[in-house]
Amino acid sequence: MRTSARSWMLRVALLLVGACLGNIAAAAQGTPHYLITNDDVSAFLSSVSFYAIGANGRITLQQIVPTDGFGIGGGYFGANRLAVLNSSDNQCVYASDAATGDIVGIAVNTLTVSSSTLGSSSDTGASNGIGLATNGQYLYAGYSDSSNIGTFQIQPGCSLSFINDTSVIGLQGGIVDAMAVHGNLLVVTYGDGSIQSFNVSGGTPVSNGDEQNSTAAIRAQGATYPSSIDITQDGHFALFGDTATAAVVEVSDISSGQLTKTVAYQNVGSISASNILLSPDETMLYISNTQGDRVSAAFFNKSTGQLALGCASNLLKGYSSHWSYIGGLAQPSTSGNGGGVYAAEFGNPATIALVEVHSSGGTCSMLEPSQSPVVDFSSPGLLSIGTFPPRSF
Amino acid sequence: MRLLFRCLLAIVICGVAFLQAVGQASCPARPVPGSVVQDALNLTSVNGVLSADFALGHLVDQYGYTHYCYDYKISDGHFAEAPTLRLNQGDTLMLGVADRIQGDDLVGMKMNMPAPTGKTCGDGGTPTLQSTNVHFHGLNVSPNCHADDVLTTLIQPGTPGFQFTIPIPADEPPGLYWYHPHVHGFTEFQVNGGAAGALVVEGMEKIHPEVAGLTERIFTIRQQYLVPWIPGPYQLSLNFQVSAFPFPHPQIEMAPGEKQFWRVLNATIQDFMPLQFQVNGVAQPMELIALDGYPIATPRKETTILVPPAGRAEFVVQAPPAGQLAQFVTLNYSTGPTGNPDIPQVIGAITLTNNPAKAQAVKPAAGPPIRLENLKFANLASQKANTQRKIYFSEEFGGTNGPIQFYITVDGQKQRVFEPDEKPAITTNVGQVEDWYIENRALETHAFHIHQIHFMMLEVDGKPVTNDYRDTIEVPFWEGPGHPYHSVKVRMDFRDPAIAGTFVFHCHILLHEDLGMMHKILVQP
Repeated sequence: MRTSARSWMLRVALLLVGACLGNIAAAAQGTPHYLITNDDVSAFLSSVSFYAIGANGRITLQQIVPTDGFGIGGGYFGANRLAVLNSSDNQCVYASDAATGDIVGIAVNTLTVSSSTLGSSSDTGASNGIGLATNGQYLYAGYSDSSNIGTFQIQPGCSLSFINDTSVIGLQGGIVDAMAVHGNLLVVTYGDGSIQSFNVSGGTPVSNGDEQNSTAAIRAQGATYPSSIDITQDGHFALFGDTATAAVVEVSDISSGQLTKTVAYQNVGSISASNILLSPDETMLYISNTQGDRVSAAFFNKSTGQLALGCASNLLKGYSSHWSYIGGLAQPSTSGNGGGVYAAEFGNPATIALVEVHSSGGTCSMLEPSQSPVVDFSSPGLLSIGTFPPRSF
Repeated sequence: MRLLFRCLLAIVICGVAFLQAVGQASCPARPVPGSVVQDALNLTSVNGVLSADFALGHLVDQYGYTHYCYDYKISDGHFAEAPTLRLNQGDTLMLGVADRIQGDDLVGMKMNMPAPTGKTCGDGGTPTLQSTNVHFHGLNVSPNCHADDVLTTLIQPGTPGFQFTIPIPADEPPGLYWYHPHVHGFTEFQVNGGAAGALVVEGMEKIHPEVAGLTERIFTIRQQYLVPWIPGPYQLSLNFQVSAFPFPHPQIEMAPGEKQFWRVLNATIQDFMPLQFQVNGVAQPMELIALDGYPIATPRKETTILVPPAGRAEFVVQAPPAGQLAQFVTLNYSTGPTGNPDIPQVIGAITLTNNPAKAQAVKPAAGPPIRLENLKFANLASQKANTQRKIYFSEEFGGTNGPIQFYITVDGQKQRVFEPDEKPAITTNVGQVEDWYIENRALETHAFHIHQIHFMMLEVDGKPVTNDYRDTIEVPFWEGPGHPYHSVKVRMDFRDPAIAGTFVFHCHILLHEDLGMMHKILVQP
C-alpha cells in the first residue's frame, strides 16, 4: 500500500476541518455516540478518528485526534488496538501506537489526548501491533515485538500508570496476539494455535495453568489458530475467531475460571474468521472473513455456547479494488443485535463498511446499504475500530 | 513475521549488496533496451554428448536490480549468459556448475534454511542465500544425485563445482525445457535475478513438419522485482532485454509475411501470461505446436495462449505485410484478491524488415519421423488410474505483515509447510498411474508443478479438456463464499523406473515455493 502526496494533503485538510466540526458538534450534542478508528499511520503522525453515529448507523467524521506517535499501517488482524472505557468517572478511549509503543488516553468528552504512556523499553509492536483490553481497573497491552503483556493501572483523567510486564509465550513459541478480559479473567491467544487464561485479580496476569492448543488447531492440524476473542456477558464462554484456511470459530466454557477444551465450528465456504464480535443481546456472533470479502453472522446460544449457521453479506463493495482485508468489527447500537455491524476495510485510504442485519425466527440477512462504505482518509490501513459507548460487556 | 523478515532482509540485501557489488562485472552486460532481440548462445550436443561448464555469478546493476547469471565462458574475459542447451533424444547432458556468487554475504549476516539431514549430494552444508543447485524443469529424468535432484544437491560458493550427468531418455518429447536454481528458500532470489535458461530436445520438426525450415526463435521472458516478494517496481525482460516502461520495447525482427517458430519460456517468478501476437491491436491466430515441452497431438490455432509461471508455449506466428504494426504482448491476468497484479505489457515490438536477424532455423525433417505414440507418456489416456488423489492449495493470513502460510496439502493430511526433513506426503510405486484432482481453496491463483514427469490434462472445473501434456498448470483463485473451488484433474504416470526416488510437487509462484507450498513424493522402485 503506497501513500500518495494527494492523500496526505487531504489528510491535513481533514484534520483542520475535523477539528472545527468536532468542536461545533461537541457543543451541540448531548451523549456522544462514536465510531472510533485507530488509524495506525506509519509515515506520518498517527491518529484516532471519531465518527458520529447517526440514524441507521450512518457515520460522519467528527474529529481526528493526533496521537503524536507512529503506527505501522498493518499487523495482526485479531488484536484490537483500541480499548474503550465508559465508567461514571472515566470516559476514555485508549489507543496504541504500534511503532512508538505508546498508549494514548483520549477523553471522550473533549476528544483530546489526556495521556501518553509507555511500558518498558522493549514494549513495542512494530512487527504486528499492540492489542489492548481493559476491565475498567487495569488496561492490558500485548506487545507483538517482545510478547510481553504490559499491565497498566487506569488512573483518573484517562491516564495510565505502568505497573510491569509479564512475559508470555505460546506452546509452540507463538507471540501474543489478541486479549480479552472479563472481571478477573484475562484470555490470550498466541500466533501458534495455543490459548491461555490468566488471573488478574491482583492486576498483573498470573497464569491459570490452562495453556493449551485449541481444538481446531489440533484437528485442523496446524493450519488454524485462534486470533480474536470475545467473552459473554456472564463470563460463561470465551469465543475465538480463528485465522485459518476456512472460517473457524471456537467456544470454550470458562465458567470454572479457566479455559476448557474448545468446541470448534467450521464453515469451509470461507477463509479465516480472525475477527469476531458478539451482539449486545448475545444472539448473534458477527464474523469478518478477514482474508475474504464479506462479513457473516452465526446464531449464538448464550446458555449452551452453541453456534448455528446464520447468514452472510454479499461481496462488500470495493473488495480487491480498494481494499484487501476486512479487519475489526463494531456495532452501531449497544442493544439488541447491534443494529448492524461496521467492518474496517484495509486499504489506502481505508474504508469503513456498514452492514445492516435483520434477524427473525432463526433466519437472518445482511445487507450493505448504498451509503456504505465511508472512506477513512486518515488511515492507510485500518484494522481496529470500536464504539463509544461500548457494548455493556 | 517470516514475510516481514524477508522483506527487511531483501531491503538489506539490495542496499548492502548494491554498495558492495556495483561495478563488479561478474555477470555479462545485458542488452540495451529497445535493441534488436538476440537469442541466447546455442550449445549443441556433439556425438551424443553436450558438455559445458557454467558459473553462477552475481552483481547489482545501477538501478539496484540484483543479477544472478549463468556464465558460460566463450573466451578469456568473454562470457555468454544462460546459453540454450540443445540435445537430441538419447543424448547425455554433462553440465558442470560452480557457484561464484560474491558480494552477497550481507556483511556477515546469514540467512539459512534448515539443512536436510541424512544423505547429501554435492557440497552439502547449510542452504543459504549463496547456495545453489539446478532443476532441469520438465525433463523426465532421474531425481537422484547428479541428475535432477533438488532435495539433497547443494553447491556452495567457492568450491570447485558440481557435475550433472543426465541421460536424456530416448523417448523424451522434443520440445522446450529449462533450467534454474531450486534451493528451497532461495529459489526466488536467484530466478528473480535472471538465473534461468532454455533447454531444447531436438526433433520437433520430425513430429510437426510445419515448423521445418522456419526461423526458430527462443524467447525467455523473465521478471525481475527490485524486492522479489513485494509487488512493487519490476521489469519484464525478453532475452534479458528490459521490456518494461519507461524503456523502449525490444525489437523482434521478422520479414513481412514471414512465418516463424517461436519457443517461449515463461521464466518469471510469478507472472501468468496470456500471450498474444497482435497486428494493429487485433490478436492474430498462433498455431500452437507444443506446451511445456510436449508436442500437442494436433496443432491448433489460438489467439491467446496462457502460459503460467514456468510454462512454455511453442507456436508459429506470421508477420503482417509491410506497413502494419505488430506486437507481442501479455494481457492483464487476474490472480485474485490476494494475488499479485499481472499487468498487460508489450513484450516486444515487431520490426518488419526484409533482412531479419536469423536465428537457428529448424532443420528439415531428416530420417524417420518421430511418432507421438512413441513418446514418453503416450497413450496415457487409455491407461486406467490405479489411485485417485485430491490435493489442494490454501493460504492463511494472520495479519497484514504475516504470519502468512502457503499450503499444498494432500486431502486428509495435515496442512503444513514444506520442511527439508519431512516424510513424503505421497508414496507410490513405479508402475502406478494416478489421477490427481487439484483444487484451489485460496484467494489467489496458483501454478501446480511436479518434477520428473509430465501429466496429462483430463478436466478443468469438472469439464473434459484436450489431453495436452503439461508439467505446470494454473489453478485459478477461489472467488469466495458461494462459489465453487476451481480445479484441474490430471493423470500422473509413474511407470518409468528411471524416475524412482524422492522429488517434489509445488506451486511455481516462487515465493510460495520458498515459503513451503511444496511437498515430497516418493516413487518406490
